[in-house]
Amino acid sequence: MINFVCLVLHNKRSAQFKKYLFIYLFIYFLFSPSVNYKVTGRDSLVFLVDASKEMFIKGEDGEPSNFDITMQCVRSVYTSKIISSHRDLVALVFYGTEKSKNPRNSFKHVYVYHDLDEPGAKRVQDVEALRGERGARLAADTMGSGEVSLGDALWCCSNLYSDIKLRLSHKRLMIFTCMDQPHGGDSTKDRQARTKAGDLKETGVVIDLMHLMKPGGFDVSLFFCDIVSPPEDESELGLQVEPCGKLDDLQKRVQAKQQKKRAMARVNLCLGEGMNVAVGVYANAVTARKPSAIRLYRETNEPVHSKTRTFHTQTGSLLLPSETRKAQVYGNRQIVMEKDEVDTIKKFYDPEIFLIGFKPMEKLKLHHHIRPSVLLYPEEQQVTGSSCVFAALLKKCTEKKVFAVCRYTPRRNYPPRFVALVPQREEVDESNVQVTPPGFNAIFLPFADDIRKLDTPQFPTASDVQVDKMKEIITKMRFKYRSDAFENPVIQQHYRNLEALALDMLAPESIEDFIMPKVEQIDRRLGPLVDEFKELVYPASYNPDSKPAAKHRQDNEKKPKVEIPEAELRAHIKNGTLGKLTVPVLKEACKQFGIRTTGTKKQELMDALIAQMAK
Amino acid sequence: GKREKMARAAKSALVLCMDVGFSMSNSPPGEEPPFDQAKKVIQKFVQRQVFSESKDEMALVLFGTDATKNPLDQDGQYQHITVRRQLMAPDFELLEEIENHVRPESQQTDWLDALVVSMDLLQKGKYDRLNIVLLTDLSTQVSSDNLDVIIGNLGKLGITLQFFFPFPMEEEEHNEEGGGGDGDGDRRGSSRPGVGKGLSREQKQGLEMVRDIMLSLDEDEGLDQVYTFSEAIEQLFMFKHIERRPMAWPCQLTIGSSLSIRIVGYKAVTDEKLKKMWITVDAQTSKRDDVKRETVYCLDDDNETEVQKDDTIQGFRYGSDIVPFSKVDQEQMKYKHDGKCFAVLGFTKHDSIHRHLFMGSQTIKMFAPKDDEHAGVALSALIQALDKLNMVAIVRYAYDRRCNPQVGAAFPCIKQTYECLVYVQLPFMEDLRQFSFPSLENKKFTPSESQLAAVDSLIDSMMLVEEDENGQKEDMYKVHEIPNPAFQRLFQCLHHRAVNPGTPLPTMEQWLKDALERPSAISERCQAPLEEMKRKFPLKAVEKKKELKTGAQIFEPDAKKSKVDEEEEEFNLAKISEGNVTSVRARGLCQQLTHRIEQLLSNRSTHYYMKCITCIQTFREQSVKLGNADLYNSYLQSLKKSIPNSGLQVFWDLLVQGMISLFIGEEKKEVETEPAVDDAGDVDDLVSVCLNSSALKYLMFVS
Repeated sequence: MINFVCLVLHNKRSAQFKKYLFIYLFIYFLFSPSVNYKVTGRDSLVFLVDASKEMFIKGEDGEPSNFDITMQCVRSVYTSKIISSHRDLVALVFYGTEKSKNPRNSFKHVYVYHDLDEPGAKRVQDVEALRGERGARLAADTMGSGEVSLGDALWCCSNLYSDIKLRLSHKRLMIFTCMDQPHGGDSTKDRQARTKAGDLKETGVVIDLMHLMKPGGFDVSLFFCDIVSPPEDESELGLQVEPCGKLDDLQKRVQAKQQKKRAMARVNLCLGEGMNVAVGVYANAVTARKPSAIRLYRETNEPVHSKTRTFHTQTGSLLLPSETRKAQVYGNRQIVMEKDEVDTIKKFYDPEIFLIGFKPMEKLKLHHHIRPSVLLYPEEQQVTGSSCVFAALLKKCTEKKVFAVCRYTPRRNYPPRFVALVPQREEVDESNVQVTPPGFNAIFLPFADDIRKLDTPQFPTASDVQVDKMKEIITKMRFKYRSDAFENPVIQQHYRNLEALALDMLAPESIEDFIMPKVEQIDRRLGPLVDEFKELVYPASYNPDSKPAAKHRQDNEKKPKVEIPEAELRAHIKNGTLGKLTVPVLKEACKQFGIRTTGTKKQELMDALIAQMAK
Repeated sequence: GKREKMARAAKSALVLCMDVGFSMSNSPPGEEPPFDQAKKVIQKFVQRQVFSESKDEMALVLFGTDATKNPLDQDGQYQHITVRRQLMAPDFELLEEIENHVRPESQQTDWLDALVVSMDLLQKGKYDRLNIVLLTDLSTQVSSDNLDVIIGNLGKLGITLQFFFPFPMEEEEHNEEGGGGDGDGDRRGSSRPGVGKGLSREQKQGLEMVRDIMLSLDEDEGLDQVYTFSEAIEQLFMFKHIERRPMAWPCQLTIGSSLSIRIVGYKAVTDEKLKKMWITVDAQTSKRDDVKRETVYCLDDDNETEVQKDDTIQGFRYGSDIVPFSKVDQEQMKYKHDGKCFAVLGFTKHDSIHRHLFMGSQTIKMFAPKDDEHAGVALSALIQALDKLNMVAIVRYAYDRRCNPQVGAAFPCIKQTYECLVYVQLPFMEDLRQFSFPSLENKKFTPSESQLAAVDSLIDSMMLVEEDENGQKEDMYKVHEIPNPAFQRLFQCLHHRAVNPGTPLPTMEQWLKDALERPSAISERCQAPLEEMKRKFPLKAVEKKKELKTGAQIFEPDAKKSKVDEEEEEFNLAKISEGNVTSVRARGLCQQLTHRIEQLLSNRSTHYYMKCITCIQTFREQSVKLGNADLYNSYLQSLKKSIPNSGLQVFWDLLVQGMISLFIGEEKKEVETEPAVDDAGDVDDLVSVCLNSSALKYLMFVS
């Protein structure tokens, strides 16, 4: 049986897909300021790519060359940086070239294609040009392949870093090569490279190896083990044991290395009085949104910044925060509080995760969901011994099939929420890349206020025949769900539009909407099953597509205009019963009295009316 | 659709019927009298209604009153029953009335009579739901002559009843939660205070009668609407009962082009937020109109030239490029779709959906429309089939044309009384943060057998769900029955401030504090295992100067101050702020400075930033003079840490530029070196000096 996913995949193999699958692979939105840019300074990433002849050899069956794969990867990082963290600096440097191009032209066979800078539309086009057949020819023309000296290449890169006047918070260099002995056993050159790598590492640069497939296998121990940075932690796998043959894998590795773990919070997991385990709190997933617009000056297209001032309406003088207070209005009564009172009301506990107790896993209700979960991972640097307690808890909770109920206060002046800490064991794939990190997922639990009471209608349950027919339908439409399989068409379209405008394209490239049902394929696969099912559950006269509500809606549209006499309105305001009026009536009243309201919320309309009438 | 629309437009009516009679004030020594508890229940309830600006109307009937004031008062019947308030939307007057005029009185009244008076009130006006809430200790003699008539009328009028007693009804009740929004089994046990007290003959008889009434109104779930006072305060039963039902979302579930099933979605669980925002008012006049907020746009030139908003256009960043993109173009080019939809993309194994990747802030339950049995059967077939195959549907969901479409999962949900699909949003690829972490399967961290044993017994001692003697699973800590403490506390404070303006805010209510703590049974039980854990796992906090501290914490290192201390500190601060600079001690000065800085910083403006920098300069200077760098350094650390969260990067950059070196003696501390120093290549010494000399003067001025 052909799997449903094959249908999808077949579609995905189109040229369109090839181009875009990787473009936004690394989106991790740095626009959410609470999570990111906590560390001051910019992140930087240097791609140091081997351009020797071996890199351009195509694989069997016309598989793309290692160079091609690398360029696709670089392009996708560029575009994702553009989207997610345009302030990061990225450079692209080739070594083993015939021609040389670097700041002072002091290094031979090193070609700085892009120096450290923010990526933009132009750079994406540049890298795009190096892809495929055409790209290989362009590379041969502009750079050519020549002698290899990794030492010089690394030295050149260290100059790139030192030429940067900006503060860099995170420096990473990734070497892409398929040569496990780049200097062919030349021990002088090897030593030189090791020395330079050592210098770089000393200045805080992390060196990673993205080694690619080569006939006979890539032996890291021959040379590169001395070049790359030691694992951040003894336990970290550090070197990938197997070389990358596929773009997919390479992407994954680059992504994993590139994504910096930035904790949303560091708090103590308090098991009881005097037993505090330090943990970092990380987002599992954050809803990506279109970035907000920037205001530009019409004449010059330069960005403007906004300043907000609070001043006294009568005197026009600026108001200090101490000269204002906070208020809420209910009915006709205004309740006033000091600013710090408003804050103290929100304060319950100091930031912490406090253990209440444990419950069996089946007590965690699927529908008790109120916000995306977060992941907890121990912070050995804050409290030594944390990892051990954490590992023991993780092990035991998994074994006993229990979760921990905790009270979570993420930061100061923040009311608590309860979370279920669900153990998650580490998982790695065939090539030893971690697919699931170890840790506790903190699932946010609803309070009584978050649960709505529903009147549940009751119906006869379906018969076995009916259920069996539906089972057939379901079986025909099975596919393997992957959480990273669906792009957000809204965001994709937005960036495609920007791309088109930035690159002066005639029209944006069209996107594929992955969350659109493939109706034709579904119909074809289900064949007669649909009619058979309908016959079993619907009488001939029944049409589920008829909309009984349509008529009702028309009635609504013809509603006469609603106006309200001023006296009545004043009476409502006086008695605090303005809320009894409907939104259309309030809107009409606003028009009546010439109030310009931007809001459509009832409270805003009411406030506007009250303000107007008070004049 | 039509029915739902009507339901939304209408409002419900509720009569609070409270016993204030003689016996309600009786209680064993040390226990709160039932009267006080009952009063709290109705206060809590009315408070919630007022602050949720509910349109539902409410009446208040008291019985056992010395006076008589009700429409049925005739021929000596229905005596000592007072209608304190007719059906009206609840407001502060009602809260004040309860606060000031509901007090213990000395009569005893038949609660059935009070029920009849309450029913009478509900017969006027048009409401979509009618409710009566009766709070009593059932201590009076009741005449059951008209019981059948009363029950008949309750049913005929569609009135629902809730009873609240100081004692639980019986042990075996409260096991099954009825249908409803949550519908997952047992409620918090009935082993609450008040049990074990022998009930009087009247009370037993009363309970019998309550049982009769409730069971004849609703055979299955009637007794679920009988609660104790303490349950009522700590949970939201009364509120939940009359709560408006969520809006219906009618749609069609589609599979391919020709199979559709009519469905109606309701929000079942959602991250409920407070709807009301704080507004800014002038401190002196408390008038909102006296405060005006204005946003201006400036060019990034030296003069910060202001430009009109009309002279600006919209653009977006594309990496280092900025692309002008007008609203009109954006609207025209944006992703468009066909609107409302619930379309199946395919089906997948239940376990390929990870709980920790649920997105959004809600779950939606999908039913067939009430009056459409065919849809009901079709949906049931889908739900049953999914359940049997252990699969879920992956769907495209769009609320309407204006809302962005989502991808999500529809899970089968089969309960005793109903079936539905539960819809949860799933992530888009762009949402995922795929971090990798070092493995914990590491020799350094691998726990020993004895360590694992310690964890094992800790977990055993802290199980919140336990089987009782009957094999019933008791959950002693149900988070979904705790009211959101943030709301509770805010309402309490608003209520207090509204009714007692000018007095300090009250402390948190004890029951709320208790509800958020570990159950005492667990605390006791885990004592020994916890001690064992401490012995087995050495934990050592790494000393760091970078601790996040506020100004106050720095100056008062003892974090656990008693209340008295806090008040004292406030008092001091007030005195200092009045400008008594000469008399303050060094610490006080620092405190004042940080306080001032905090105030100034809340004004996002370059002008104020410069003032802050002056303050910080002064602080630094003073600290050097005093030879005490720690206060200053740790304050600066905490300030630095708070920068990214508070959006004060601009200020920080200015500060870095404006000072020769940030931290005192930072040269010595390699690790702590502020990278910013590298940037300060061209420090303007003149500016710093200039600011220094005016710093103290300025301080006096702003105070």
